[in-house]
Amino acid sequence: MSNVIIEVNQLTKKFKSTLAVRQADFKIYKGEIFGLIGQNGAGKSTLLKMIGGLVYPSTGKIHLFNSEMNANHPYYERMGLLIENAGLYPQYSAYDNLKFVAMSYGLKDHLKHINELLELVGLSRTNKTKVKNYSMGMKQRLGIAIALMGSPDVLILDEPINGLDPQGISDIRNLILDLNSKGITIIISSHILEELSKVATKYAIIHKGEIIEIHSKEELLLKCEDRIEVEVSDVKMATPILEEHLNIGNYKVMNDHTVCIYDSHIENYRIVNALVENGISVHSIMKHKQSLEQYFLERTESVVTAHG
Amino acid sequence: MWLQPMVNLFKMDFRRFISNKMMYVLLMVFSAFQIFGIFMINQYEEPTEHGGLLTSAMNESQFIQSMLAQTPSWVMIYIAVFTVYFYMSEYNSGFYKNYITLSRARINSVLSKILIQGVFTLFIFVVFILSDLIGRTIFFEQATIGDIGYFVKLLIGQIVLHWSFSIMILCITIIMRNIIASIVISIALVLNVFGMVLGVLESLITDLNLTSYLLVNTITNRTIDFNNLGDFIHVFSVAIIVMLVFSLIALNYKIREDLR
Ligand SMILES: Nc1ncnc2c1ncn2[C@@H]1O[C@H](COP(=O)(O)OP(=O)(O)OP(=O)(O)O)[C@@H](O)[C@H]1O
Ligand SMILES: [Mg+2]
Repeated sequence: MSNVIIEVNQLTKKFKSTLAVRQADFKIYKGEIFGLIGQNGAGKSTLLKMIGGLVYPSTGKIHLFNSEMNANHPYYERMGLLIENAGLYPQYSAYDNLKFVAMSYGLKDHLKHINELLELVGLSRTNKTKVKNYSMGMKQRLGIAIALMGSPDVLILDEPINGLDPQGISDIRNLILDLNSKGITIIISSHILEELSKVATKYAIIHKGEIIEIHSKEELLLKCEDRIEVEVSDVKMATPILEEHLNIGNYKVMNDHTVCIYDSHIENYRIVNALVENGISVHSIMKHKQSLEQYFLERTESVVTAHG
Repeated sequence: MWLQPMVNLFKMDFRRFISNKMMYVLLMVFSAFQIFGIFMINQYEEPTEHGGLLTSAMNESQFIQSMLAQTPSWVMIYIAVFTVYFYMSEYNSGFYKNYITLSRARINSVLSKILIQGVFTLFIFVVFILSDLIGRTIFFEQATIGDIGYFVKLLIGQIVLHWSFSIMILCITIIMRNIIASIVISIALVLNVFGMVLGVLESLITDLNLTSYLLVNTITNRTIDFNNLGDFIHVFSVAIIVMLVFSLIALNYKIREDLR
């Protein structure tokens, strides 16, 4: 399809003894916000570095804009990168750092473009401060401004909210949504799924170098669907009643007193009535939503055990 | 034009070059030591028994050649320090990540650094000569240049040799990616450790003086006569071969390098 912007096939990166990324396969479509989620050391940065042309794959292929990539391909120019820490000269100001980048791009109208970018990330008032005196969050914002230099079509942001305060996180989130609405395709990594869920339209979970799941936003929300937690006097007596009277098959006994029902369509009162009518006392009943974070932890844990 | 991206990177590097305090500090310290060195020569100079030429009586060409032939040669040390500093400050800050997506950025960034090395070599020679002239005027009470034609040939030859030396250091720094290691290797090169070892080995095997074609041996060779065509060709062929070889190694390494 023509609106595939990035496609990776069997992408693998091996550093001496570590397999940082293993046979990654996915496509990113125009206009997506592709969220890459994984724990520390999962291989997020390495994967993004390969896509951004900083690191060469050991095996596998990358296609950008439907063209196979090799070193120094001009299509890389249509990308803006913020990978790991922003690359900044500490002894120069934010303005100077942006100016260097603008010069490397050969931009004619420096001043206007730089001031717009500083405005966009909220650094206008501190543009003369040396970067060594910047806070972590300010450096991160400057890194985003630099990534936007030259108006890229694709933005790669590796943990962009690292070190940002809540206001900063919300600013950057709005900025990302805003850029996306202007047609920029964005790849963003994080180790917090909750945070990604506020922006991403697609999610890839990477664990120990492997992409273990890819979901659209809708699919992910379905996966995290509601469950009903019922606390009763005796679980062993309660479960047959659930099955026979209410036709519930999808449940899980958590302990002697608690059972979880993964069928949110059943009204609470029907469960209570059925149990009470059959002589079981109900201590509590609660509708729960599984948090995204829990979901993520379960995925990565189950993989840990599966791999021994 | 295909050259434009390289020119853009060079402009960027040049801006950092001239707005960089370290560069001025190096040149000022170098100049101060140069003048102080002349003061010391003036204090402790004694006529040699063989009636050799007194340093205080030399013209500028002879004086430069004798300074460059010292071990260690301070000009080479300053060039090495600057080279390592200028490359590693970009590498360690990760600033290259901001332009690496540009077309042929890896190649162009090395070419641009090579040009910056040339500019710095030019700068340090200007400071070198000005300091010598000032120091000699004050302490030797003479600052004759001698034959201008010879002086210009000597300068061109030595600048090209030192530029090629700086490209060799740049190449080593790109590969080592470590300030301390690069400086240590540079100092070993300036002290001509390798040249001396090879020279001893060579003298055991053959009478050919091939080691005289080593870069540092060529730079420190007092007997080179820039008016002599053979010597002039010797100087330029050494410089150009060193430049080409180390530029190609550096480019080749940079193109394949996995960046952090
Ligand atoms: N240049 C390198 N040399 C050797 N090993 C490396 C290199 N870069 C990364 N690795 C290894 O590859 C693995 C993945 O690292 P990577 O930085 O991609 O993880 P990450 O998901 O970005 O982690 P984090 O959340 O901490 O940023 C790690 O085990 C790391 O040690
Ligand atoms: Mg990372």
